[in-house]
Amino acid sequence: MKKFIYTLLIAFISGSVFGQVPVPVGEQQGPIMLIGGVAHLGNGQVIQNSAIGFDSGKITQVADASGNVNTDGFTVIRIDGKHVYPGFILPNSQVGLQEVSSIRAMSDNSEEGDFNPSVRSLISYNTDSEYIATFRYNGVLLAESTPTSGRISGTSSVMEMEGWNWEDAAHTVDMGMHVNWPSKMNRRFDFATFSVKTEPNKNYDKQVVELESYFKDAQSYAEAPSKTTNLKLEAMQGLFDGSKTLFLHAGGAKEIVESVKLAQDNNVQKIVVVASGSALMVASFLKDNNIGVIIPPTHRLPERQHSDVYGPYKLPKQLFDAGLTVGLSHSGMLGHARNLPFFAGTAVAYGLDKEEALKMITSNTAKLLGIDDRVGTLEVGKDATLFVSEGDALDMRTNIISHAFISGKQVTLYNKQQELYERYSRKYGHID
Amino acid sequence: MNRIRLFQAVFLLLLGFGGWSQVTVTPNDVKDERDRAYAFTNATIMVDASTKLENATLLIKDGKVIQTGVGLAPPVGYNVIDLEGKYIYPSFIDLATNYGLPEVKRPRGGFGGAEQMFTKTKGAYSPNEALKSHYNAGEEFTGNSKSADMMRKIGFGAVLTSRPDGLARGTGAFVTLGNNDNIDVIAERASASYSFDKGTSRQLYPASKMGFISLLRQTYLDASWYQQFNPRPFKDQSLEGWIASQGLPQIFDAGGWIDVLRADKIGDEFGVQYIIKSSGNSYQRIDEIKRSGAALIVPVNYPDAFDVEDPLDAENVTLEDMKHWELASYNLGRLESAGVTFAITSAGLVKKNEFLGNVRKAVNNGLSKTAALRALTETPARLVRMNGQVGSLKPGMIANFIITSGDLFEDKTAIHENWVQGNPNRYKPLEAADNAGSYDLTVNGTTYKMEVSGKPGSQKAKIIVNDSTSIDIKGKFSKDLVTMSFPEEVKSKENIRLSGWTNDDGWKGTGQLVDGSWIEWTATQTGDPEAKEERKKKGDDSDEEIGDVVFPFMAYGNKELPSQETLLIRNGTVWTNEAEGIVEETDVLVKDGKIAGVGKGLSDPAARVIDGTGKHLTNGIIDEHTHIAGGGNDRATNSSMVRIGDQVNSEDMNIYRSLAGGVTAAQVLHGSANPVGGQSALIKLRWGAAPEDLKIKGAAEHIKFALGENVKRSRAPSSIRFPQTRMGVEQVYVDGFTNAVEYEKEWNAYNNLPRKSKPSAKKPRRDLVHEAMLEIVNGERFITCHSYVQSEINMLMKVADQFDFTVNTFTHILEGYKVADKMREHGVGASTFSDWWNYKWEVRYAIPYNAAIMHNEGVLTAINSDDANSGRRLNQEAAKSVKYGGMAREDIWKMVTLNPAKMLHLEDQMGSIKVGKDADLVLWTDDPLSVYAKVEKTIIDGTIYFDAEQDQEARAAVQAERARLIQKMRGVKKSGGRTQKGGSWIELEFHCDMVHGHEAFDTENR
Repeated sequence: MKKFIYTLLIAFISGSVFGQVPVPVGEQQGPIMLIGGVAHLGNGQVIQNSAIGFDSGKITQVADASGNVNTDGFTVIRIDGKHVYPGFILPNSQVGLQEVSSIRAMSDNSEEGDFNPSVRSLISYNTDSEYIATFRYNGVLLAESTPTSGRISGTSSVMEMEGWNWEDAAHTVDMGMHVNWPSKMNRRFDFATFSVKTEPNKNYDKQVVELESYFKDAQSYAEAPSKTTNLKLEAMQGLFDGSKTLFLHAGGAKEIVESVKLAQDNNVQKIVVVASGSALMVASFLKDNNIGVIIPPTHRLPERQHSDVYGPYKLPKQLFDAGLTVGLSHSGMLGHARNLPFFAGTAVAYGLDKEEALKMITSNTAKLLGIDDRVGTLEVGKDATLFVSEGDALDMRTNIISHAFISGKQVTLYNKQQELYERYSRKYGHID
Repeated sequence: MNRIRLFQAVFLLLLGFGGWSQVTVTPNDVKDERDRAYAFTNATIMVDASTKLENATLLIKDGKVIQTGVGLAPPVGYNVIDLEGKYIYPSFIDLATNYGLPEVKRPRGGFGGAEQMFTKTKGAYSPNEALKSHYNAGEEFTGNSKSADMMRKIGFGAVLTSRPDGLARGTGAFVTLGNNDNIDVIAERASASYSFDKGTSRQLYPASKMGFISLLRQTYLDASWYQQFNPRPFKDQSLEGWIASQGLPQIFDAGGWIDVLRADKIGDEFGVQYIIKSSGNSYQRIDEIKRSGAALIVPVNYPDAFDVEDPLDAENVTLEDMKHWELASYNLGRLESAGVTFAITSAGLVKKNEFLGNVRKAVNNGLSKTAALRALTETPARLVRMNGQVGSLKPGMIANFIITSGDLFEDKTAIHENWVQGNPNRYKPLEAADNAGSYDLTVNGTTYKMEVSGKPGSQKAKIIVNDSTSIDIKGKFSKDLVTMSFPEEVKSKENIRLSGWTNDDGWKGTGQLVDGSWIEWTATQTGDPEAKEERKKKGDDSDEEIGDVVFPFMAYGNKELPSQETLLIRNGTVWTNEAEGIVEETDVLVKDGKIAGVGKGLSDPAARVIDGTGKHLTNGIIDEHTHIAGGGNDRATNSSMVRIGDQVNSEDMNIYRSLAGGVTAAQVLHGSANPVGGQSALIKLRWGAAPEDLKIKGAAEHIKFALGENVKRSRAPSSIRFPQTRMGVEQVYVDGFTNAVEYEKEWNAYNNLPRKSKPSAKKPRRDLVHEAMLEIVNGERFITCHSYVQSEINMLMKVADQFDFTVNTFTHILEGYKVADKMREHGVGASTFSDWWNYKWEVRYAIPYNAAIMHNEGVLTAINSDDANSGRRLNQEAAKSVKYGGMAREDIWKMVTLNPAKMLHLEDQMGSIKVGKDADLVLWTDDPLSVYAKVEKTIIDGTIYFDAEQDQEARAAVQAERARLIQKMRGVKKSGGRTQKGGSWIELEFHCDMVHGHEAFDTENR
């Protein structure tokens, strides 16, 4: 049936078995050139008729195909009328750590204790997670696998959405440290009225002091001439030498300011704030201090009753106008993280330029995660982590992906969900 | 010396008062019986709220009013008390107290744990612990002198007291605030009370407002059934209490206006007009409150201003709370203007001494003094049928009255005395010394110029050094004695201390100088006080700017509801959902709330033309599955009797947000905590309309069922509620339907009895659970069943087959694709999520192609939301079926419009753009299946409820109103008023998987 334009993808399947995740593919075999597609480079530029070549996992050519393009030695794939994008990047995700969230045994994202800087998502990352293939299917090819909860929840790594094991899938190891900044306001729940009230958090100052001493201890630890090894404080060191980025998860506007100041005062080199609408209230502070922001899913309700009814949809544009580097992210039901491209699409509907919106799930995110030297744009020398979509990948009508490459490897898009679709469509005789 | 000479009555000892009337008591001394006859003369007397006597006399004897009148000569043997300049009022009556009853201690405890399935009350009482109709406050009442005194101080003389525990609380007692329980209890059973608060009960059912309502309704039915039998079929003291107290005044402790209306509705069904205790926000829906016909008991516990100094913190305060802070003291005035009958209560006031001040605030803000006094006296008396004894000062009434220094509702007026049953309680001396004037104060040879000023009772003195300098004197001036101290010089710290007594021309006395030496002193009056103009009263805010009441009472509420228009939407791309399909450059005419024309070149001179060029016009989205606007859970295994319709909430921001996403109608569903949930409410999102007006009139009846993990309590390891497996779930259904069928037989047998034998036969018991289940079997109520895995889906269809009905809709239905053929055969619809999966075990095999497969198999398919977030992007959720399954655009669009309309049996009036159907329309900027499409207008019944441009204006207005109120609140803090920290209480959004409530914090685990 012609409806199933993507059944041609089955060509790429080698014995996919129901209940198992797709088989990882091997390294790139020979140079590939994608010709004729509209290339969205991820840096704001668009090449209408493009030639994108890559070899040994790296991009070797980004050109206008209207001119002379040397395709010698390349396997050419014509993608006329289609669109090519750098792989979308999902920051601050629990992918690989959490499977069925309601089952304790299937969650590995939240370690016991308040201060766990040395805890690493990397070694817990499950390449057999069923989410991974569904992310690829929508163009999300990289994700930051991130521990949650506690005051310092631990160390994150950027993973490729492909690989036999976590070593294989690791893109950038131990690149982030996640701090859950205390909130000045607590929420009190009343069951009878099913309501919550915000109230001043009486322990706030104490909690901040606790964090501050943690950072101070970590620094003096480094300078101490002789010491007993402290794994936790060792793990903090990357923050001071710039090898790790500090992600400050802060709820309120004041918390954002205080958390950034504390980090700066303690010689943290790279700081990113993870916050929502509150970031807008202190946007000039963030801009002055050159701090980027990762914002939670914009497909959500406005923060307050009196908020702009479309507030979350407009937030990316507002933060962009304020001059901030913004990355979009997802939190909550992990199955929904594959909708990351549509968060960007919604930002476009509410005023953001399309290529700027794209940056928020590609190059901006790469910058914020400290991996922009390797990914985030279609530029020569960068990882060949990219995909081809039948149409505009930010719109759910046209986000239909035909090819995806991760470091040059052409990955399998077909997964359990397509398999079940076909199995039952066949059962009912909808397809042959 | 300018002094008021009052004749003071003989001193009365409080000791032994009560004994006089209680002849059964053997005294422990010599008999001491007195007449207790008093004549209060020269007073302004309010005999009742509308009868004012000037310069009048009140005669009381033995605790009763003998007479009031002008020119009455005090009979011989009466103690005469001259009250010149004073006022007498009947003392107040509070109908909402638990005075003299033991405190109700609520059990504390967290969530989770094993459910309490049965009552823990021992004895022959109701099987539901929340029903405490067997309780009689009069039996447990013990006067409490401390709280009585607190109430008397603020003017109360009698109260209705009942125990605030349970949905049915038993009877209340009417008592006076004296010191002898035997005398004070006027009526041991004066009222029966009810509430929406199950109190100390931790029994599983009921757990929601609709559950509370159901239990009360069922109890009315049970009582009328039980009452038929003599002797009773079994003993239930709670039902006995319920039955015995039906003839008493029925009082319902409800809450906000929305709960007042809910309570009133229960009463309407059973022919009871409750007196309803409200929370003081009735002004927000005054018309509906008026229409209810209920008399209200209204508190004056106005909220404190919020601390809004910090603009970021102030964001946590809702506009609703800000506006209510401003308007709360206008509530009583507006109730009066609307003609609502009301009594005022001191309930809810943390500081009782603020009571009078708050009533006066209401008087400043529109409440007439007459109405105020009536609400404090006559009305409460009449409501509990005590107006023959209290509430006025007519002959024969109990001598409960207060003596005040002036008009009760003027700011400075004080209560001197509060007489209860003819016994005085004195709070402020009647006779305050007036020492105002100029004096020569001579101390140890030095003469100072001294001035005493102020109102009697609170006078102050100072020494005048020169025109601009004075020294304040610390002093205490009573009728006979005086104490003063002051520094020798302006800045010195050491004081001269004087003590003295009054004499004919001032004061005289002894004192100690700074050095400790004893001296004599005199103060001789040299002149009268200077007359001073009274300053403008503080707190008189009758001319202040106040905000409008908006509907709903929150941000984006409308001052006036939008009205129906004749509209012509020209030249748009119209998604008809009819045979014509999607037609371009087409006009749609809307008239009288209906689609009046679809075609090219339409015109109507009366129409407002909206240019649809380049835009898309569709039907309004219909959400088959939402919990906005009043969704919730009850938790009985089978709660078929609970009705979402009983708790529809018009004051939900998510109504507006959904309109902004193109939604016009929805099924508000019960949660999924139990195999049989509750009855649905079908609503249109008429933002601003009252709850009853949101409902779609004449809509078919629906009910929520649920299968799987939630109902078997998979995430509550200590749960003991049946069922714990899918096997048990089936049994719940088979059992429920079997019982319903037998119930019908029982009633049929009764109804078919010969006319002669019927009157003597006992009516079968009406059972709301069976009735709802029976409606399903009889095809009069349609099931929407929360479902995930194929086994259980199949099971419910087989159960339905067994009882010969059709399951209407499977909702969520994430494994519907596995049994789509069976579903088609059964004829059930499917309302599913677009791409949700893996958030729990039973959705591991959920696939985003589910909708497409079911549709392709011929199952009527819809896309639903469950939460308000996806509910306002249902167009996008549906659009995912382009990507997942390649469905045709029109078919996709029908999944959020026509198909849900069919599932809800509303397709005759909704779901497509066809002449004669409801004009529920959305104008989009783009193809509605595009992520780039925005809503420009949302129209319901030809009325524009959302308009993108007006939304911008509304946002600006919200901001301006908040700014105004913030400045006003700041004023409170600046002038030293009390403020509260933190933010508003915000009701959480409910969704399907909230079984306990704590999941509200746990949205990750959907």
